[in-house]
Amino acid sequence: MHKYMSRIGLLVVIAFTAGCSSLGVEPWERDVLAKEEMQLVTDPVEAGIDDHIYFSKEASSGGRGFGGGGCGCN
Amino acid sequence: MHRLRFALSSRFLLLLSFCWLAEAPAGFAANTDQLDLSSYRGKVVVVDFWASWCVPCRRSFPWLNQMQAKYADQGLVIVGVNMDAEPGEAEAFLEEFPADFRIVADPGGGLAKQFDVIAMPSSYVLDGNGQVVARHLGFKVKKQDEYEAAIQDALSQLEGN
Amino acid sequence: MPRQDKTAIAASLASATCSLLGTPAATPVQAQEEPGWDLNTALLYYGENDDRVQDVSLNLQAIRNFVDDRLLTLGLAVDTLTGATPSGAIPFDGPQTFTRPSARSTYTTPPNTIPLDDSFLDTRVAVNASWQQPLGRLYSIGAGLSASNEYDYMHMGANLKLSRDFNKRNTTVSAGLAIAMDDLSPVGGAPIPLSQMLGEDDRSNKTGDQSKDVFDVVVGLTQVINRNLLVQANYSYSNSSGYLNDPYKILSVVDGTSGDPVPAAPVPGEDFPSHLYLYENRPDERTKHSAYGQAKYYLSGKVLDVSYRYMTDDWEIDSHTIDARLRWPMGDRSYLEPHLRYYTQTAADFYRISLVDGEPLPSYASADYRLGEFDAVTVGMKYGWKLASGHEMSVRLEYYMQDGDAPPGQVIGNQALQELYPDLDAIIAQFSYRFGW
Repeated sequence: MHKYMSRIGLLVVIAFTAGCSSLGVEPWERDVLAKEEMQLVTDPVEAGIDDHIYFSKEASSGGRGFGGGGCGCN
Repeated sequence: MHRLRFALSSRFLLLLSFCWLAEAPAGFAANTDQLDLSSYRGKVVVVDFWASWCVPCRRSFPWLNQMQAKYADQGLVIVGVNMDAEPGEAEAFLEEFPADFRIVADPGGGLAKQFDVIAMPSSYVLDGNGQVVARHLGFKVKKQDEYEAAIQDALSQLEGN
Repeated sequence: MPRQDKTAIAASLASATCSLLGTPAATPVQAQEEPGWDLNTALLYYGENDDRVQDVSLNLQAIRNFVDDRLLTLGLAVDTLTGATPSGAIPFDGPQTFTRPSARSTYTTPPNTIPLDDSFLDTRVAVNASWQQPLGRLYSIGAGLSASNEYDYMHMGANLKLSRDFNKRNTTVSAGLAIAMDDLSPVGGAPIPLSQMLGEDDRSNKTGDQSKDVFDVVVGLTQVINRNLLVQANYSYSNSSGYLNDPYKILSVVDGTSGDPVPAAPVPGEDFPSHLYLYENRPDERTKHSAYGQAKYYLSGKVLDVSYRYMTDDWEIDSHTIDARLRWPMGDRSYLEPHLRYYTQTAADFYRISLVDGEPLPSYASADYRLGEFDAVTVGMKYGWKLASGHEMSVRLEYYMQDGDAPPGQVIGNQALQELYPDLDAIIAQFSYRFGW
């Protein structure tokens, strides 16, 4: 099960990277992406609280990513 | 720099032949003219692409106003090109950050594509012949002097200056 | 969380480092007012069923915007913890007596209930600071420090982040690193693993302070798909080494036929545990791999946020987490946000509900329910609103349920009559207030 999952995961990442250059929007079309509610982490304090709770009660932790999205300005 | 100049100016020559711009939405005061950049021959034009959702644009507007006031009599014209899909958003922005320079709207992105805009905000400095002589990607407060120097440079090349 | 959950906390603080790593310390405020300071405060109540853990905490985050997209983020969290937690001893049809970690007294639990070690009051203070700035036009770097302290535990950590944009900023590749060094001073001393729980004032099997180190790496890819859709995928690696045990957790030694705990030989004149209990032991290393994906989708004013995480480690624990949130605007100034989360994990290979008397001791064994096999569901609702001043407030109420089972092959005799897995119900209530200054 683990082997399949990691192979699938790798394929997804490769597919992503390969297809990435054709995806996206023009720099002036980021009005929706600039909205606060469209950021990957909308509320960092709440995310930190949840991470702490689930980490104390479960055997898994973190995993979240960072960076990207947003208005893409400057 | 020369290669950039060539690439941009050749595109710009194409642009001149189109005199393109979408009509500004009704909300903009007195801005429903089509933008005819060839009418600015003999002046230095700064074309600044901005949008209401672009945070660095809030910093750039006061500076653009400053530049317009300072160099108007030397032949500087600033044109702000708004990229908002919703004109109401642009108006709200302008209420908070008024522009002492001309604003036109390009919601379809046609002008932005012709200038090959790759970042927001972007500003292009056009010399007296309508050639793009400088391009600035983004707006950094720390680079204001650099931006101003490019304007001064272009102004010094104008006949009569 | 109470002292007994220290290993989880140790891990949680490491994860707090990793979540400091994985969670942007601050997203530069997008298209909002740019006040000098952006302050985000939250008051949290967390309460479990049956007199178990209760936590009240205050969280603050202050973001200072400096010119040209540079950010300083400062964070503070203060938790006060009370309540009881399962010690790992197995329930049976009779009372049981245990010695407290301090060894200063004993406590007795009633028959037919999962024994809980009723805790002490504890206060935890955690601070963090981070800096983030662009590097050139397309790179962004960040660095941060974190520290926390409580009666028997201290954590220090540092992290670094780097990201680079491609394709007119439609694609972002990012990488981060975090290290943590934690020191434990368990109340009464760290017990010798798999040694017997002794009587009052007997610390002969207790040693001193312990430590552990955690190292985390994450690499990620964020991609704008279209005007309304943003996706993110990343891979994380985490390695913990050192003292990974929970110093307060025990296992019951049971009779191989009845499944009942083996009585301890009483020591005259000494308050002694009623039955034979051994302190747990976990490996001194743990390696975790996680794959995570998230999508944010905007559809006529509503935002759907869905994420999935798969985790696997060398303790044989596998987990899947699915999390979904829908932000539903109500007019201009407020929103409703329902939330649903599903989590499932398999047990660690050394998870034991009890040890059998007479059988050779395994190298590693733990009855900590958090290493067992269970499903968990969170259902919640958040309501947020913006005041005329631009300040934002929100309240959320969530219900967290954990439901597990003892591995059937491990259930012996009378144990089948008992509720062996301490199912959990908890309420999460939070009020938050965000404003510029």
